[in-house]
Amino acid sequence: MIKKSLIALAIAGLATPAFADITINGFASIKAGMTMGSDEELYGYTDNLDFKNESLMALQVRSDLGEKLSVTAQMMGRGNEDFDIGFEWAFLSYHLNDNTTINAGRLRAPFYKYSEYMDVGYAYDWSRVPRSVYGLGFDNIEGVSLYRTGIIGGFDSTIMAMIGGYNGTTGLGDGKLEGFYGASWELSRDWYNFRVAYYTADATLTFANESVNNLLAGLNGNGLSALASEISFDKDKGTFIGIGGGIDRENLVIVAEFNRTEVENTFFANRDNYFVSVAYRLGSVTPYISYEWQRHDAKPEIYQPFQNLAATPLAPLYFGTVATVQSQQVEADTLNIGLRYDFHPSAAFKLQYTSQKNKLTDDTVGLLVAGVDLVF
Amino acid sequence: MKSIIAILVMALSFSVQAEISVVVNPANANPVSADDLNRLFLGRATSFADGSKATPLNMAEGQAARDQFDNKVLNRSSAQLKAYWSKLVFTGKGTPPKELADDAAVKAAVAADTMAIGYISSSSVDGSVKVVATF
Repeated sequence: MIKKSLIALAIAGLATPAFADITINGFASIKAGMTMGSDEELYGYTDNLDFKNESLMALQVRSDLGEKLSVTAQMMGRGNEDFDIGFEWAFLSYHLNDNTTINAGRLRAPFYKYSEYMDVGYAYDWSRVPRSVYGLGFDNIEGVSLYRTGIIGGFDSTIMAMIGGYNGTTGLGDGKLEGFYGASWELSRDWYNFRVAYYTADATLTFANESVNNLLAGLNGNGLSALASEISFDKDKGTFIGIGGGIDRENLVIVAEFNRTEVENTFFANRDNYFVSVAYRLGSVTPYISYEWQRHDAKPEIYQPFQNLAATPLAPLYFGTVATVQSQQVEADTLNIGLRYDFHPSAAFKLQYTSQKNKLTDDTVGLLVAGVDLVF
Repeated sequence: MKSIIAILVMALSFSVQAEISVVVNPANANPVSADDLNRLFLGRATSFADGSKATPLNMAEGQAARDQFDNKVLNRSSAQLKAYWSKLVFTGKGTPPKELADDAAVKAAVAADTMAIGYISSSSVDGSVKVVATF
C-alpha cells in the first residue's frame, strides 16, 4: 500500500515538470534527380538517377521547461551522408520578454534570407535554396544569439544578433572561425520586405587540397613565407555582407538577394553572388523561375609582385602560386525553372530544372530533380 | 433526386459563405482590429491592446470556419500558413496557436478564459462569449 502510493507520488512528480509541454515536429524531403549528360555533375548528381543525394529527414523535439526557459534539439539525417543522424540545431532559449529571446547552443548562422530554414523544403517554393548564392560551405555556429521582434514605423522588425565560433568542415577544408559576430535585420510591411546582414570572423583552415598544402610548404621552405601567408588562412579576417528584399502581392512573389564575401590576406576570391526569383501562385500550383549569378574574382595582386621569380629556379613555385590563386576564379550563371504543387495539406510536390553555365569554360550542365517536401 | 442535389448545393454554398465571428471572453473589454488578429494569429504579438496576455485559439484544419479565417482575415491559403509556421517552428522562433476541434470547443475555451481569443460560425454565438469582429 505504502509502496503503491510512493510509486504514484513518484509518477506524479515526474509527470508534472519533466514531461510538461514536449512538442515533436519533423520534416522530410525525398528527391530524385539526374543530370542530362554523361560527363555532367551538379550539386552531387550525375547522369545516374539518384534518390539519396538531396533527401533528408529531421525530427525536432522542443521542451518547455517553464519559467521562460525551453530547450530545442533538431536531429537530421542527410542522404548524402548516408542518413547518419546529427544534431543540426541544439539550443536553450530564454524568453526575456514577449519580444526578446536569447538562444545559446548550436544555431544556424543567419547569413541569408532563407538560411535558418534552408533544409525545410516545405517552407519555400524552390526545390533547393539558390546554391551559388548560399554557398559559404558551412551553416552552423556554436554561440549565443539575440532575437528581437518589434514594430518600427509601421514595419514589423526582426533583428538577430549572434556571437560564437565554428569548428568543422568548410568549402576549402577543415577549419575554424573564431570571434564570429554580426547581425541581420529584416523589415516587412504588408506585401514587401527588406533585409541586411553583416557577419565577420577570423578564419583558420587546413586545405583539403594537398597540392595547396605542398605549395605552401615549398614557399615556406624557400624563404617565401610572406607569399605563403597571402594564400593561407591563419586567423584572417573574413566579412560577409548580404542585402535582400522581396514582395508578395496578390499571387506574385519576387525575391532577390545579393551577398559579398571577402577574407583578407588569403587566396579566397572576392565573391559576389546574387539571384532573382519570380513565382506566381495559381491556386495549389506555383510555377517559378529564378536566375543566379556567381562572380568570384581571384586575386592576381598576390602573385604579381613576385613575377621575376618566373625566370629563376623557383619558377615552379611561382607558377604553382598563380594556378592556385587563379583556381578561385568563378564565373557562372544558373537558371532554374520549376513548380510547386501543394497536393496534400502537409506535403508539396516539386519539379525543377536547373541549367548552370560555367562562363570560364563555356560548359553547361543540366539537372532535373523531382521530389516531395513535407512537414509533420 | 434533383431536390437532394439542390439541398446539397445550398448546404455547400452556405458553408462557404457562413459568417464567422471573432470571440473573446465577456470580461475582456479590449478592441481587436483586423491587424491585431493578424499579429496574434501569426505569432507576431502576444497581448491585447491593454497589454494583457492573449491566447489565440485556432480551429482544427479542415473546418470551414478555419478556411474562411485563413483566407479572409490572414489572407493566406492553408498551405501558405503551414509554410509560414514551419519557418518559425523549425528555427525555434514560435509555435502555432493551439487548435480546437469545433465551435463548441472554442466557445467553451473562450468562455472559461479571459485571455482567450478565437473564432466560430456566427450561428453558434451565444451569451457565453463576446463578439469583437465578424468576417
